[in-house]
Amino acid sequence: MSSSETGNYEYVSARVKTRRAYLYGDEEYRKFIRMGPGEISRYMEETTYAQEMNEFGARYKGADLIEYALNHNLASQFEDLLRWSEGELYEHISRYLKKFDAWNAKTILRGIYAKEDGERIRDDLIPAGEFKISFLEQLIGVGNVEEFVGLLEGTMFGEELANAFREYEETGLLVSLENAIDRSYYQQLLKKIEVVEDPSLVLYTKFLRAEIDFKNVMNALRIAHSGSEISIVDYYIQGGKQFTSSKLSSSMKNLDETIGMIRESAYGEQLAGAIEKLENTESLISFEHELESVLLEYCDRLSHLYPLSICPVIAFVLSKEKEIENVRAIARGKEAGLSPEEIEKQLVIL
Amino acid sequence: MAEDVKPTRKNLLRVKDKIKLSERGHNTLEQKRDGLIMEFMGILENAKGVREELSQAYTEAQRTMDIARAMEGDIAVRGAAEALKEHPEIDVESKNIMGVVVPQINSSKVRKTIDQRGYGLLGTTARIDESADSYERLLDSTILAAEVETGMRKLLTEIEITKRRVNALEFKVLPELYQIQKFIEQKLEEQEREEIFRLKKIKGKKGRESSGEA
Repeated sequence: MSSSETGNYEYVSARVKTRRAYLYGDEEYRKFIRMGPGEISRYMEETTYAQEMNEFGARYKGADLIEYALNHNLASQFEDLLRWSEGELYEHISRYLKKFDAWNAKTILRGIYAKEDGERIRDDLIPAGEFKISFLEQLIGVGNVEEFVGLLEGTMFGEELANAFREYEETGLLVSLENAIDRSYYQQLLKKIEVVEDPSLVLYTKFLRAEIDFKNVMNALRIAHSGSEISIVDYYIQGGKQFTSSKLSSSMKNLDETIGMIRESAYGEQLAGAIEKLENTESLISFEHELESVLLEYCDRLSHLYPLSICPVIAFVLSKEKEIENVRAIARGKEAGLSPEEIEKQLVIL
Repeated sequence: MAEDVKPTRKNLLRVKDKIKLSERGHNTLEQKRDGLIMEFMGILENAKGVREELSQAYTEAQRTMDIARAMEGDIAVRGAAEALKEHPEIDVESKNIMGVVVPQINSSKVRKTIDQRGYGLLGTTARIDESADSYERLLDSTILAAEVETGMRKLLTEIEITKRRVNALEFKVLPELYQIQKFIEQKLEEQEREEIFRLKKIKGKKGRESSGEA
């Protein structure tokens, strides 16, 4: 098997390692928290965001400028990943990055539903997935949800969306369509790596399953927290290993039972901190943060265990995403007048 | 004013009736005023808590909204908000507190479960849930505050009106009526004395005439 078929792991891992070194660390975030949006922009101008800052500096300012620069930098860095990679590595990366296609599709769908101005929808897009800008523009340009669903026919979302559209027509609610988009993404993610022997891929699959497990358990907690009577089965994402839909639906009636179920699962030890937060506070946000941190740590550990595999690339993708979210949270939080302590609580730092 | 009234027995009876009525009215209004004040004080205790609750709910709603906007982006928050189909309903009825009609606001569909909010579960996070939760709590507090504060305002207006009426009766109407009563009584007594004097004079004159003839 040639390297172009299996993938150029060595080359991409080396490039990713260099890129990771440029990610903001704890120290930078602490500096940002003490700065205003203008100062953060100025600082970013001297780092990897220089090109984006110069490009958008004349058009936007404050937190808007930061957000544009962050989103475009994220897109360009992920584009680089796809450009560098070959063979199955390319397949894995592109499949993972389709999460941005799902994000963009949902953003456009919400925009169309809320009759938002095209310009505003465009502002929130992150063109880091497989959809080309021209296709995203086409999606923004459609007049209604039906046309939107029609245009996505033939993509990975097509089938699920077409099924969900019937429900949308009955209820007029976006829930079914949004869920269909997310479900399609997770389904395609695990489709081609179900049976593998490569230990790095086995662990990568384990990571993906953990991500799905965490998503499922979080959704079950959110439903239980809101006091809704709906069943988790309708929102369950297939692919997780630890929490089956029946297990989740039977335990979600009682928070203690849900906590017990998480504690007894294979994640019990890793999620001890998250469980403690869940027991001590009513808010689910801190639990969600802990889940994100655990996933990030897990992927990071895999990247060290298998440096020549998909793991370092996914670890970089996750870390880069977190960097974007953290900087945006600081800039927007500062603009909204949140206290430094409050902003700090929202950050997920590895 | 007292001088404008004709000092007749009929007027005296009329004034006495008026005094009786005014005194009774004064007592009733005084009782009403005290009752309203007591009701007002009871509501005031609640209102203090309601105002504080409203202010806290607003701060919390704003905070969770800022966090959601910062972490999820504007369009995700707006999209989630636009997804709502069943809007809260408010029904205003009225109740009577000692003659004062105050509103009673009943609300429905304010607090919603996650499936009633209309946004997708898989594509959103707990931050949006918490923001929606806090805004629902804020709406609840606003409705309660609107009911309590409108009730308080109406009670306060009624207390003011009743107080003015009590004062008017106590310091203006009743003193004037007492003065008129006194004036009429004095005049009538004077008339009576004059009448006796006149009768005595006539009697004396008649006595003198009859003794002269004799």
